Amino acid sequence: MLAAAIVVADGLGRGFDRAAHAADLPDVIVRFDPEQATTVTQRIEALPDVAAFALRQEYTGVAIGANGHSSQGASVELVGPGRRGYAIVGGRDVSGHPGEVVVERGLASAWGINLGGTLSIDGLPLHVVGFAESPDNVSYPLAAARIYLSRAGLVRTSGGRLDTRVNFAQIWLRDPGNVNEVLVQARATSYGLEGVRFVTRSGLRVLLDQAAGIVIDLLVALSVIALATAAVMLGSSARAEVQRRLRSIGVRRAVGASRAHLALTQGFEALFVAAPAATIGAIAGTIATYHPTTNLLTLLNEPAPGTALLAPLLAGWLASIAIPVLAAAWPAWRAAGRDPVALLQGAELKPHGERRRGGRRRAGLAVLGARLVGARRARLVAAAITLGASTAFILLMLALASALASLETDPGALGKRYQLTANLPASDAARVRAIPGVQAAAPRYELDGVDSFSLDEPIDVIAYPGDHTQFEAPPLTSGARMRGPHEAEVGAGLAGALGLSPGSTLAIQLPSGSELRLRVAGVVSSLDHDGRVAYVPAKALLALDPNASEQLAVRVRPGANVSRISALLGNTAAPAAGATARGVPLVDTLRTILRAIAVVDGLVCLYALIQACTLIVSERRRTVSVLRALGAGGDAIRRLLAGAVVALVVPAAVIGIVIERLVLGPALSSLAASYASLSLQPTWLEIAAVLAGLALCSAVAVLWVARRATRETVVSGLGAG
Amino acid sequence: MIKTNLGTVTAVPVLQARGITKTVGAGRAARTVLDGVDLDVEAGEVVAVLGRSGSGKSTLLHLLGGLDRPDAGQIMLAGRALPGQSSRALARARLRHIGFVFQSFQLIEELSGEENVTLPARLPGARRGGEERARRLIAELGLSQLAHRRPHELSGGEQQRLAIARALVNDPELVLADEPTGNLDQDNGAAVLSLLRSLEQRAVVIVTHEPDAAAIADRVLHLRDGRLEEEGSPGAAALRESA
Repeated sequence: MLAAAIVVADGLGRGFDRAAHAADLPDVIVRFDPEQATTVTQRIEALPDVAAFALRQEYTGVAIGANGHSSQGASVELVGPGRRGYAIVGGRDVSGHPGEVVVERGLASAWGINLGGTLSIDGLPLHVVGFAESPDNVSYPLAAARIYLSRAGLVRTSGGRLDTRVNFAQIWLRDPGNVNEVLVQARATSYGLEGVRFVTRSGLRVLLDQAAGIVIDLLVALSVIALATAAVMLGSSARAEVQRRLRSIGVRRAVGASRAHLALTQGFEALFVAAPAATIGAIAGTIATYHPTTNLLTLLNEPAPGTALLAPLLAGWLASIAIPVLAAAWPAWRAAGRDPVALLQGAELKPHGERRRGGRRRAGLAVLGARLVGARRARLVAAAITLGASTAFILLMLALASALASLETDPGALGKRYQLTANLPASDAARVRAIPGVQAAAPRYELDGVDSFSLDEPIDVIAYPGDHTQFEAPPLTSGARMRGPHEAEVGAGLAGALGLSPGSTLAIQLPSGSELRLRVAGVVSSLDHDGRVAYVPAKALLALDPNASEQLAVRVRPGANVSRISALLGNTAAPAAGATARGVPLVDTLRTILRAIAVVDGLVCLYALIQACTLIVSERRRTVSVLRALGAGGDAIRRLLAGAVVALVVPAAVIGIVIERLVLGPALSSLAASYASLSLQPTWLEIAAVLAGLALCSAVAVLWVARRATRETVVSGLGAG
Repeated sequence: MIKTNLGTVTAVPVLQARGITKTVGAGRAARTVLDGVDLDVEAGEVVAVLGRSGSGKSTLLHLLGGLDRPDAGQIMLAGRALPGQSSRALARARLRHIGFVFQSFQLIEELSGEENVTLPARLPGARRGGEERARRLIAELGLSQLAHRRPHELSGGEQQRLAIARALVNDPELVLADEPTGNLDQDNGAAVLSLLRSLEQRAVVIVTHEPDAAAIADRVLHLRDGRLEEEGSPGAAALRESA
């Protein structure tokens, strides 16, 4: 578990840094409407602290195809001399020769493109010479497919007839800490450039870190739970082992062995088991998670961790060994401190508890098993809590996987109340409303802005004329819905990034160059664009930037046939997407990781239960032998252990459900509040499934341990101390 | 031999052991503790097996009770051969046909006295009516006032009497007692021996190193050099002299 957590956490946590370093990611990326290269060069050279810059043309909406796959919306970048801002992870970079292309690694993986293969652009075949990776955007299919061509090579192909304008600049600063000041200057010197949009390296990192952070937090929490469970169980097992060896320890103390010697001996014995076990566990955990993590990183345009994992895995391996060694040595140290005479007497657990008063008690085997496990109250409580925490975690994983599924398939989970969009102008709204089955239709405007004060903070600006909650109503977390013409609702992600709250001022730099200033009326939970969204009045937006993209949002009456209405709208219509419609592979990978985590946690529960049963049989060896001497067969021993396990599992299940409902679920919901209103309470079906899993683990533990217990001869157990 | 109206009938012993051999230890430490032991015990008979410490008395008792398997020989209990049976069958035989009394009582601390006595009756496969028998035995043995207490709250004699009640709760044909007075003072020991003597219709085998304990027996056997010798034989006399 520790190894799995290290692989995923290191991969996600440091992947962006590794990718940015390998790709020589620029500090600022600027996109603008096509302009002469000389003009752009002048503007950039006027900026302070610029170490280097590179210009290129970026064409979007290009048709590409390879190996039977095709895309109409690919992005083609014509690269020139100088720094590239992407890493070559296979093959080589484009040279000045015509007919060469470098493709994004994610695209190559998705389409099965090999080095030396062919990719066509608008029917023109090109030779694939390399694979690239750049973390400035996620990979296909999460984003548009991206390929790189040499500008010089394309000039040769086109016979010199190529647009000389550029629309993309990459800027490297001498001191990246000055990026905000440079952006202020850039804004001031961008006169004459239209459609200017800035993205910074730190802004990219924030976006990716937030998504990865939750996964990392989950894994760290699970690792802590797994380690705590292991520590409790190993400590109990070691204590039981020392209890069994009290006479042996007493003899050695009587002949002069020191406490340190005895503790070291016990620790070394544990080391002989812990070292190979930790090695196997580290290898298994790494193998189980490396491939899914690499797949996820490919989608994020980040490299696999590779040998960078060695140091943290080694640290985890050492921790995995240290825990059982210490757990073995400490009880031995304590036991060796007792009077040797007492040690030589040994004994099973001494009884405690008062005489039971009143009533005739008839304890069967199951009740006896429960009493045996209850004899060690502190251990029972610790085991129930750790088992309960593991159960809570499994419930959380299942609830989270279900929530992800609903986000993917149900736009309503995000507060979207429209079912269709239509690429039609606002003037067609009345016509669309008249279609039978349509409840409401209104224009929906959307554009990408940035915060005026933090130019690296992107904002998805959405506007409706009138009340937007008819079509989009993400849950309100604070404040109120916007009412006036100068008010806005902001997503929790944006509010968190910019420190906004109801009453704050939101200043949006629009692509037109104008600034829209509004008062924040309320904060909403919105998964779209990672919560970096602002709902604004359409009138105010269009007055400053009339070029906002426009489509009709169509709300269908309950029970109406959405497909029929979509057919009537023709090829202008598209279904309203869940937030992760383009992120299906990402969500699938995340769900795979979540389920893998849940399975591993289930194994932790199984381990805890087997340990608990083994401890009972080990500590109560004589009692078990007496029972067998009296005529108890395997069936009776199983009943005994079943009673013990029930005494542990029932409180653990209750604790687990309570922890998930009252602590973990709400905590994670608040963490993800910037994304969506996630109900992370497990359904009754999920709870039943987890309880069934616990019952199955209990049955396996009972059968396994009972089988081993009945293999020992009765006689050897009768003489046990 | 039993005289009936139809004539004299030879009763089948409850316990029949023939040629029992057992070696303990391994390699150079291997030692044959039982070397061709034969033993018959009738219903209602009390047999005492005496021997020095380490002579194999407890080993013999464990074999007779199906707790261990001999290297060679045959043991018949209530008409069934023991050694060839599965662990499950041996457990069932112990449950229904054998009652054990141990030197250290072996009561379960988490259970009250009554619960300890009733425990064998609640095991899967036990004879019917066990709980009723348990209550009756507790009353007969004068333990009614003590039965609700935990073993550590009772004296040694009281614990051993509970252990005897537990051994009888499933109405076994054979009672095996391993040093039943070993942890008791003289008075309590005498009371326990008297109790074992009073068991009617059952075959009782008592293993002990105390000659006083053998005094209640119908037959006294001595275990020496892996063989059983009846009291009165030259070997038994030598054993008494050296004890």
